[in-house]
Amino acid sequence: MDKARLSLAKSKRPTISLRLLLHMSWQNIISKKLRSWLTIMGIIVGIGSIAFLVSFGLGLQQIVTDNVVGDNSIRSIEITTPNSRIIKLDSQAIEKIQKFPHIDKLGVAYSFPASIGLSGGGIDSIIYGVDDQFQEMTTLNLIDGRLLNNKDQNSIVLSTATLKAIGISDNSKALGQDVEITVPLQYADPELKDLEESFKIVGIIDSGQDNEIFTTTAVFDAQQVPIYKVAKVIADDTDNINELRTQIEASGFQTSSPIDTLDQINQLFKFFNIILAGFGAIGIIVALLGMFNTLTISLLERTKEIGLMVTLGGRRRDMRRLFMIEASILSIIGALSGIVLSYVSGQIINQVANANAASRVSERFNIFSTPMWLVAVLVLFMLAVGLLVAFFPAKRAERINPIDALRRE
Amino acid sequence: MKDITKNDTSHVIKPNKGSEHPSSTDRHRTLIKVQGIEQSFKVGEETVEVLHNSSFTIEEKTFNIIYGPSGSGKSTLLNVLSAIQPPTRGRVEIAGFDIYKYKPEQLAYFRGSQIGVVYQQNYWVSSLNVIENVALPLYFLGKKKQEAHRLAMDALQRIDMAPFAKKSPLLLSGGEQQRIAMARAIVADPMLIIADEPTGSLDTKNGDMIMALLQSYNRDLKRTVVLVTHNMEYLPLADRLIKINDGVCQEMQNDDVGHTTKNLIKDLGDRIDKLAESKRNG
Ligand SMILES: Nc1ncnc2c1ncn2[C@@H]1O[C@H](COP(=O)(O)OP(=O)(O)OP(=O)(O)O)[C@@H](O)[C@H]1O
Ligand SMILES: [Mg+2]
Repeated sequence: MDKARLSLAKSKRPTISLRLLLHMSWQNIISKKLRSWLTIMGIIVGIGSIAFLVSFGLGLQQIVTDNVVGDNSIRSIEITTPNSRIIKLDSQAIEKIQKFPHIDKLGVAYSFPASIGLSGGGIDSIIYGVDDQFQEMTTLNLIDGRLLNNKDQNSIVLSTATLKAIGISDNSKALGQDVEITVPLQYADPELKDLEESFKIVGIIDSGQDNEIFTTTAVFDAQQVPIYKVAKVIADDTDNINELRTQIEASGFQTSSPIDTLDQINQLFKFFNIILAGFGAIGIIVALLGMFNTLTISLLERTKEIGLMVTLGGRRRDMRRLFMIEASILSIIGALSGIVLSYVSGQIINQVANANAASRVSERFNIFSTPMWLVAVLVLFMLAVGLLVAFFPAKRAERINPIDALRRE
Repeated sequence: MKDITKNDTSHVIKPNKGSEHPSSTDRHRTLIKVQGIEQSFKVGEETVEVLHNSSFTIEEKTFNIIYGPSGSGKSTLLNVLSAIQPPTRGRVEIAGFDIYKYKPEQLAYFRGSQIGVVYQQNYWVSSLNVIENVALPLYFLGKKKQEAHRLAMDALQRIDMAPFAKKSPLLLSGGEQQRIAMARAIVADPMLIIADEPTGSLDTKNGDMIMALLQSYNRDLKRTVVLVTHNMEYLPLADRLIKINDGVCQEMQNDDVGHTTKNLIKDLGDRIDKLAESKRNG
């Protein structure tokens, strides 16, 4: 009997394909429709509530972050000096900083209190002398005219609030209008006299209630103002921000970055999200008990079938795999459906909230945010705990003695 | 194997008279060699001894019938022969292999590929349909679904059950289920068929059909058949009878078959006479 010789002498036997095991598990799941459906429902509720709550936490986090960080790039670093007499933020210092590695962009700005009016005496405001890079990093909200560029001479961009204060209510009339500005330069250097000049309005920005005026750095350079008020750099990568900051601070300057605030917000929300997920986890525990129950009943019902499959040439470990696969199918279907359900509810709430707030808020916002990573984490998490729960029934399936199983009544 | 159920004469089971048998000449090699097996089970505190020191051989390509009273250990012996139940003591050689020395996984593969079993009861994987159940041994042998189903369909066609392929086996009659169990037993074309009272719960017609299938498998395909039956009528089919009583096996020689059958039938007649008489008197 050469055939027998072959089949017994082989140390590694061929065995059932994963595809067929999947098919068999699937057939078993759909043959017990009600029970499978209830199990999946449990997982939908469990994973769905976690997805819903965490999406809510993430949405809030996003809204808060957007409000705090605003349009500033989180890669930006603001540089100031703690004492302008000892450590000077002057062109020499800027040249030095410019040479540090990981700098993508660098801009500087003067800043002084100023008085502005159509002719003589005026109202208080702040004037900034900015270069192109600084202006770009500040992302001004232009509503009419144009922004500044380095070649401009005695041109300004000012805020709607300032315009109103000096008595111009019609934006279109403001463009091209000349205004008088007085800047006490002594704040930078006691030797310097006041700057008193006429400027042409080239652009109008919206910056809320602030009286702000922007002009070019050239205006102050011409007056030999020795120090900048502030410099801004953008790092080439968020990962390099800390390195760059340490280097700048080593030269004696102060730095601040939106990432500081962001870190605090994230810290807070991490805690908040964990608490939300914790509430959802209660649902998961119930779902897991349901699945454990389903698999155990399935094991008891199928003891004979498992015995039969072993007598027909199945390996014991294939019996274990049948249960693991069944648990995986239930987990994945349940988790995905739960996430879809939570996503749809979240989107509906987002739509309703945006529709209600449309009159007050110009930009769209999302109270619920379900990023891809959350989907992946939840599916993998459910798969992991599902397999953990399936482990014991699966192990029992593996240990079934076929003879005892078939003799059982 | 041809579709024997469609051949009218195949339903008539011919007694096996030595020389008439086409394969009688090359029937020398030993397929199964059972040496001093004992089988006991622990039931709670007690140990139940089911098989005692039994030895016998089964020749290749023969038709063997094991008979004996209920509870004598027939099913247990078949389990030992079908590579699923290691005996407490003794050894079982199949085709020269001391089978219980092999790893469970290899033994499972051996069962799937070389031994087809028809059980006393019908066992099914209830979530699978008829053709999937028949194809199960092929699945476990690593065959692809398509090929497994093609072979399973062939097996179903041989027993004239092809139209039932997509049905659930649980919904079929006892006779139909038993025929499908036959298909499952032969689907992997094993060298050895072991059947435990396959006709037990069937009427004469269905029982005969199963016996005809087994006989055809033995005669036409030259496979070895080991059968347990209570039905005396079928004893003459055997090349060899193995009698089992209280767990002790006793091999009958070829020439004894006719003799034994005659004695058994005579015993039966006597018993029925006695019963009838006691009824009349009591
Ligand atoms: N796994 C087991 N555990 C305990 N006892 C067992 C086991 N298998 C068989 N037995 C016992 O062994 C004896 C023989 O059983 P077996 O099923 O082999 O008999 P049988 O000859 O097939 O009977 P029948 O003709 O009724 O099918 C019985 O008393 C049975 O209870
Ligand atoms: Mg029995």
